[in-house]
Amino acid sequence: MRRPALTLNQKLAAVALVLGVGALFSQPHRGPVVKLDTRELAMIVEKEVDHVTPAELAAWIVEGRTDYRLLDLRSESEFAAYHVPTAENVPVSALPDFPLLPNEKVVLYSEGGIHAAQAWFLLRAQGHTAVYTVLGGLDGWKDEVLFPVVPAGAGPQELARFERTAAVARFFGGTPRTASDAAAAPDGGPQIPALATPAAPELPRLVPPAPGRASPVSAPKKKKKEGC
Amino acid sequence: MMTPLYKYGFFGDEMSLLVAFALGIGFGFFLERAGFGSARKLAAQFYLYDMSVFKVMFTAIVTAMLGVTYLGWIGWLDLGQVYLVPTFLRPQILGGLVLGVGFVIGGYCPGTSVASLATGRIDGLVYALGIFAGTFVYAEVYPAIKDFVNSDSMGQVTLPEVLEIPWGLVVFAVVIIAVAGFWGATAVERWIGGKS
Amino acid sequence: MMQPRRPYMNPYLAGMGLGLVLLAAFVIMGRGLGASGAFSSTMSWLVNAVAPEHAQANEYFQGYLGDGSTHPLKAWLVFEVIGVATGALLSGLLAGRVHITVEKGPRASTAARLLCAFAGGMLMAFGAHLARGCTSGQALTGGALLNVGSWAFMIMVFVGGYAAAWFMRWQWR
Repeated sequence: MRRPALTLNQKLAAVALVLGVGALFSQPHRGPVVKLDTRELAMIVEKEVDHVTPAELAAWIVEGRTDYRLLDLRSESEFAAYHVPTAENVPVSALPDFPLLPNEKVVLYSEGGIHAAQAWFLLRAQGHTAVYTVLGGLDGWKDEVLFPVVPAGAGPQELARFERTAAVARFFGGTPRTASDAAAAPDGGPQIPALATPAAPELPRLVPPAPGRASPVSAPKKKKKEGC
Repeated sequence: MMTPLYKYGFFGDEMSLLVAFALGIGFGFFLERAGFGSARKLAAQFYLYDMSVFKVMFTAIVTAMLGVTYLGWIGWLDLGQVYLVPTFLRPQILGGLVLGVGFVIGGYCPGTSVASLATGRIDGLVYALGIFAGTFVYAEVYPAIKDFVNSDSMGQVTLPEVLEIPWGLVVFAVVIIAVAGFWGATAVERWIGGKS
Repeated sequence: MMQPRRPYMNPYLAGMGLGLVLLAAFVIMGRGLGASGAFSSTMSWLVNAVAPEHAQANEYFQGYLGDGSTHPLKAWLVFEVIGVATGALLSGLLAGRVHITVEKGPRASTAARLLCAFAGGMLMAFGAHLARGCTSGQALTGGALLNVGSWAFMIMVFVGGYAAAWFMRWQWR
């Protein structure tokens, strides 16, 4: 006795069921979507425990600490023009794909600090717990570390204390300014030294990591509603 | 991850309008193929003697769903870049109810009404005019109902996320339910057809 | 109520065709299909052409008018819907199913049918705008993507339809 052939509909149903079973093992790629605990993050922001002042960062570099990674979030050209010694260049768009261990200590800086703050959220959302931003960014670095201002009307004790700051400034290739210098050219100040290399002892060399994967072109901006 | 092509910059906005037209042709073609240019066939779903609406709709859903699942799995589609309409739970529940009632009274839904008027149905044309009128009224009352319309905002969420069940498991369940539904729908059609 | 059987395509095959078109939309555009949005865009443009101050003062229309840099009719869904009409016409012509007619049940008058069509369209517009989509945009597109709101919407469409069917049987049967 020949078995009656399956009808078209039955064949379709069979294909659907087979594909359905196959789908059980699927993991459709949705990209790095993360869940945020917004209350927890808000509290951390308020406590301000995630800031590093430029002076602190300068001290770490001078001491030769290697327990952290310093990331410059600006573009390659900006990085090439000048960057904080020991920094690695990771443009913000490449950050999600940049290989970092979850418990690695990461210090972020950008021009002013906005991108660094935004990148802070990005990394925290991905599960990194030890993420810090440099207060004031590169602007703060210039003002506090490279070109620190001698306090006006300073007494001998203060000047003595300032000597350390001035020494650090010179270490990084900068120069201290007097109050009148700062008043005369408040913005931008003196020229940033081109790729400042310290005259003093060798800075620890950090091995740059392997380049990350290429990221997708960002979607064009939509002005009107995207609906159905 | 190279698709969706538009989101990865393979072509621009102008081209996308041509793509829209082309996709629309395919959409309209199969709607009419299925007979959905006819209000009688569409309404028949709700009288249980022709369950084509259910069969076509769920077959389309299952086909596309399996498609994105497998393409996403082998890495040919970045599902995260596919637009998901945000969920506003209660407005959408009420909207569905109202739409269902409108469907049976009017005999069409927006897409099928276009298919219908394109093939000469006057009622399809009148229905489309009704949609325009209804849109105008909606826009006028929108400020008053705005708060409700935007309530229950859950963002862009999928069933696997909300039910905390793996994607593949939900897909499997949908396929099983659909196939079982098709079998049941055919049985209902025969039963009702046999009665009349 | 017997009708001469018209040779419509096997619903499962038609559904697969639709599903593949939808899949193509996902892969090419990163979005699904739709219809109700085209009506909103068109209405916004129309009202803006007739009474611009009113249109721009209205929050709903303003959403579709944008900042004025793009013409509201230059919207993806508008072009898609024109395609729907074209494709349907094409299929209809191929199958000899294009004729000027009014679809209705044997007991209903043309006038009643057209009145109901208009009323149904108005209701449908409300439902679709509340839900941010209609059967194509929400049920099909969102259904395939396992969108929560879409599945809730889809189930309610069937609930609403079956609930109203009893009261409308004079129109269809």
